[in-house]
Amino acid sequence: MSDLLKSDVDLEAIIAQADEEEATTRPDEPSLPPGEWMRKNLFSTPFNTVLTIVFALGALWAYRAILNFIFSENTQWDAVRVNLRLLFTQAYPDENYTRVWVSLAIVAVLAGLSLGLSKVGRGFSLKKIATWCFGWGGLIVSGVLLREPSVKTDANGLSVFTDPNGVPLERDDLGTLIYANGDPAPSQGIELVRESFGAAMGNRTGWWIIGLLLLAVGAAIWFGLGDFRRRNTFVPAIPLGLAGVGLLVSTTWWYGWGNYTFSEEGFTYEPGELVASSTRNPWTVIFFVLVAAYALGRMVQRTEQAGVVRALTNLSWLLAPFVTFWAVLRGPVLDWGYVTSVDIPLYLLFTVGGGLVLWALTNPKIGETGRIIAVVILGAAAFTWIGAFFGWFAMLQKVRLSLLFLGLAALLAPNFKGEAKQRLNLIYGWIGFSTIFHVMVTLINTPSSIEVPTEDFAGGFMVSIYVSIFTMLFSFPLGVLLALARTSRLPIFRVMSTVYIEAFRGVPLITMLFFFTVFVNLFLPEGMELSLFAAVVVAFVLFSAAYLAENVRGGLQAIRRGQYEASDALGLTTVQRTAFIVLPQGLRVSIPPLVGQVIATFKETSLLAIVGVFDFLRMARDVIPAQTEFLGVRKPGLLFICVIYFVGAYAMSKYSQRLEKQLGVGER
Amino acid sequence: MSDTAQQSLVAAASARPPFYRDAVVVKWIAQVVTLLLVLFALFFLASQAGDNLTAKGIETGYDFLEVDPGINLTGTIDNEPDTGGRALWAGAVNTLRLSIAGIFVATLLGILVGVARLSSNWMVSKVASVFIEYMRNIPLLVHIILFFAIIQSLDNFGRTTNQVFNDDGSPALDADGAEIFEAVQGPINGWLHISNKGVSLPRVFPADGFYQWMVFILIGAVAGYFVRRQRQAVQDSTGAETYPNGTMLGVIAIFGVIGWFLHPIFGWVGGIFGAIADVIDAIPPGVVQIVLSVLAVGFAVNWIRRFLDSRRTPAGLAKLTDDDWFRMIFAGVGAMIAALFIWVIWPGGSSWLVNSGRDFFDVAADKFGDGRGSWSDDPPIDAMRPDIEQRGRFANPGPAGLNFSTGFAAVFFGIVLYTAAFIAEIVRGGILAVPKGQTEAAQAIGLRRSTMLRRVILPQAFRVSLPPLGNQYLNLTKNTSLAIAVGATDLVQVGQTIFNQSGKSLEVFSIWMLFYLACSLTISVVVNFFNVRLAIVER
Repeated sequence: MSDLLKSDVDLEAIIAQADEEEATTRPDEPSLPPGEWMRKNLFSTPFNTVLTIVFALGALWAYRAILNFIFSENTQWDAVRVNLRLLFTQAYPDENYTRVWVSLAIVAVLAGLSLGLSKVGRGFSLKKIATWCFGWGGLIVSGVLLREPSVKTDANGLSVFTDPNGVPLERDDLGTLIYANGDPAPSQGIELVRESFGAAMGNRTGWWIIGLLLLAVGAAIWFGLGDFRRRNTFVPAIPLGLAGVGLLVSTTWWYGWGNYTFSEEGFTYEPGELVASSTRNPWTVIFFVLVAAYALGRMVQRTEQAGVVRALTNLSWLLAPFVTFWAVLRGPVLDWGYVTSVDIPLYLLFTVGGGLVLWALTNPKIGETGRIIAVVILGAAAFTWIGAFFGWFAMLQKVRLSLLFLGLAALLAPNFKGEAKQRLNLIYGWIGFSTIFHVMVTLINTPSSIEVPTEDFAGGFMVSIYVSIFTMLFSFPLGVLLALARTSRLPIFRVMSTVYIEAFRGVPLITMLFFFTVFVNLFLPEGMELSLFAAVVVAFVLFSAAYLAENVRGGLQAIRRGQYEASDALGLTTVQRTAFIVLPQGLRVSIPPLVGQVIATFKETSLLAIVGVFDFLRMARDVIPAQTEFLGVRKPGLLFICVIYFVGAYAMSKYSQRLEKQLGVGER
Repeated sequence: MSDTAQQSLVAAASARPPFYRDAVVVKWIAQVVTLLLVLFALFFLASQAGDNLTAKGIETGYDFLEVDPGINLTGTIDNEPDTGGRALWAGAVNTLRLSIAGIFVATLLGILVGVARLSSNWMVSKVASVFIEYMRNIPLLVHIILFFAIIQSLDNFGRTTNQVFNDDGSPALDADGAEIFEAVQGPINGWLHISNKGVSLPRVFPADGFYQWMVFILIGAVAGYFVRRQRQAVQDSTGAETYPNGTMLGVIAIFGVIGWFLHPIFGWVGGIFGAIADVIDAIPPGVVQIVLSVLAVGFAVNWIRRFLDSRRTPAGLAKLTDDDWFRMIFAGVGAMIAALFIWVIWPGGSSWLVNSGRDFFDVAADKFGDGRGSWSDDPPIDAMRPDIEQRGRFANPGPAGLNFSTGFAAVFFGIVLYTAAFIAEIVRGGILAVPKGQTEAAQAIGLRRSTMLRRVILPQAFRVSLPPLGNQYLNLTKNTSLAIAVGATDLVQVGQTIFNQSGKSLEVFSIWMLFYLACSLTISVVVNFFNVRLAIVER
């Protein structure tokens, strides 16, 4: 189906280019004076003037409606404030919360290092910053002016009402509304009293200060500098961003954001207080860790070792989700006796022994014997599986898997024949893979020490994040394999891959999720069960791989024929050609659609709410409205989720545009 | 190079390597082994599923389609279905309604937003861009649930009431002598009601004689097609503006107006359909089986023959690759599987085919039979305005209007706005993809701006945007399945209810898959039809 609907024109690239041109101002292009800019862009013809006015009025009306909702006394933002922890980490227990902070710190270290090691860009021009200040300052000031005045409150903080004819009402000792002469107030038609416009403006001092400050900064930049200097003075982006984060973190020490928690003891509700130290301290530490890692990265970036450190950082990014999820957040209770007596010896046996076998197999002089040995290992692995199927002998599953992986690595060995350096590549790869595999199997097989009411400890936003990341990591290799099979000249592989891809792309994700959460345990043998988390990850991986495969296929098809012919002329094997010629070029072209797929997966994690996972959408939709304090309060939580998804997806799409520019896709 | 060396090279090149180094053999072994492994894994899983189902005492099979599912639906064509199949069909109709209406509205809105995004007016472009970014970067499910929450928090129906007065100004009284109050609901009372119970619009529906009227429209469309072709030919040869599309629409409209009054003259069409139904009913199922298998085998043989023809060169048959052999084998295996299906796996299929064909024509005969011979003044289309029904304390949407329940409205607005944002970007990309030279050339030959857009830019933009547009339609259709999150009835929701009650999980899942694959295929074929027609003919 998908290849029925294939365009020969890459619309996304065209749009990205147009966005890029819109966002960048060429340094040689002088800025228009504001009056002329408005004449050109807003009031060029009578029709355009009418359009501008109509759209501006509509936008202002919508803006006012949104502000009135956000700042309304009836909107219970407390439902979000109190439940922040629930929304992000579900019922992760208090006493284990350090694990969450440690995970965040690990991410902060890696983020700092990556930022520090990244190329120093030009940053933002002062003109851009001034425009930004004008935009946000104007938005805030106009918001202050637009929003309806707040409801008047009496000395006790209760709202003031009038009767339908405008006669003011008072309250008796119990807070019931009465007339001044003691008559009871009418039951219907009473109205809230709002402050006068002047008083309302006077009460919004904080917003006035922020808005006017931004406008003043913008004006200072704009009028203090000439057009040329405005356009050609740059502020580095990352330090500016770090300073912003630092400012935000520092506010927790001096600004009364309020202290809200929800724990087993009940709600803590202290508006105007400082943020609880159990929140403030970790964030402060994480911020300093981030800055330190950034400084370290910047220092390393100037040295010779920058390349190595960058590669290590990227590798750590790959490992971080596994480490944080299984080793840190899950809190495994290791049985050290078993680990030292079984796990570690097995690990050493396979790593060292396997490494030696591979070293021998990559010997250039080994010839045909190498392949025969590989096939023997593979045959032994197959035998262990057949034995398992018929129940001949018991064996640890990871031994069978290790043997299988070793056989596959042995089959790859002839491609690494040659100098010691080349042979070591395979050995290092094997050691790394074997280490990760054995550590992961050990960790997954140990029970978790985190006690939560649900099946999995992961919940809230945490589960969305981890499902997205694991989906991305596992579906990528599967998608590449499927794409290779689909473009292969081998007909059975091609047909199998096509059937798989079209079947998965043809049905909605929600049906696949139902399949894997409801039906999949029917298909598994006795005693084997997929947990809910594993089931949804499997469903997401299989589904996403079909889409990824199509994206990768687009990239593979962009490779010119000459590349294949040249690699054949060089005498490369199929594996070598695929690994060193085809994939590097094909994947480079398919990076923008791949990032698009990552964004899509991130958004699709919202479907977890339907199949029984307690992700944060489910919290906002079902859990919070069921709390006695916030019965039926849905909209604040849902809007909060909108903001989080928007920030995540928007940031990723902007990043993908930058990446595309860096890679120069489409320029060669 | 010495002769011996050359000879040994030639010998090495012509000698077959040992089988485990022979590329062809290794390739095929690898493929067959992989295929066997996959088949074995599938077989293993299927046998496990069979064992597990037996252990749980669940019988497999599609008999639930024929028995009373014992469920009630809301907002469908049949809220008390008497069979499981009927219940699933009612859900599927809702899915199709959402998809088709969604595709139309989303396309219109998307084109508007996309053009606005490209406007030279900064304000218009900015508003469109904020809309697009907001819709695109938030998951559809969150949009739908938020819309649902917003609609739920609207006012109740009939909260305001107006007293009804007689013409002379006295209060109107009902049978018991009480004053009459009428429920009022905005925004436009009697035309558009939006409340926490959902959305109600006026409903247009086919009345008696609608299908006879459609015959007129059909004749008009055929006539219009020929008129358009003629006008276009005149325009192409003389260069005069002849408005071919306008003329075509005019012709159809004339036939529509004539048919509005004369539609009963086609009352006899129903009789023809009835006769066809009788003929189909007389066909014995065995004949259908034979015809179907002959067709399947004929297809395969014909395909293989044509394939071999295409490989034939003047020098004889070209050497066939592995791939070619595989294709031919595949065609043969396909025909065998089809025959097996017809005779062994589902022998009842042919009688099912006969019965469905007969039922179809019976229904058609019934529909056309409505206005036979009766020259009533009723127009073929009727319309009703939404009303509010007040029973007891709570007011509800009355049966007259086109009512969207809260969930249905939330899903509809969700998928329409979400898809519109994506379509807007596609439209924008399509217009940007038209090379600048086209605009300049159009200006150079002195076309007006509107003519340039209509004749030069939009046709080219449309061609480029069509395939991604088709993908968006596919996505929209699949996204209607999110209706389950807000309790709107669609195929997935009905299916889930059924498997919760009967445990027929795999059967329901297979029906979902077939339905959505059929939808995807239909959309692909339709879009591809236009895509091929619009493609540039390259020389």
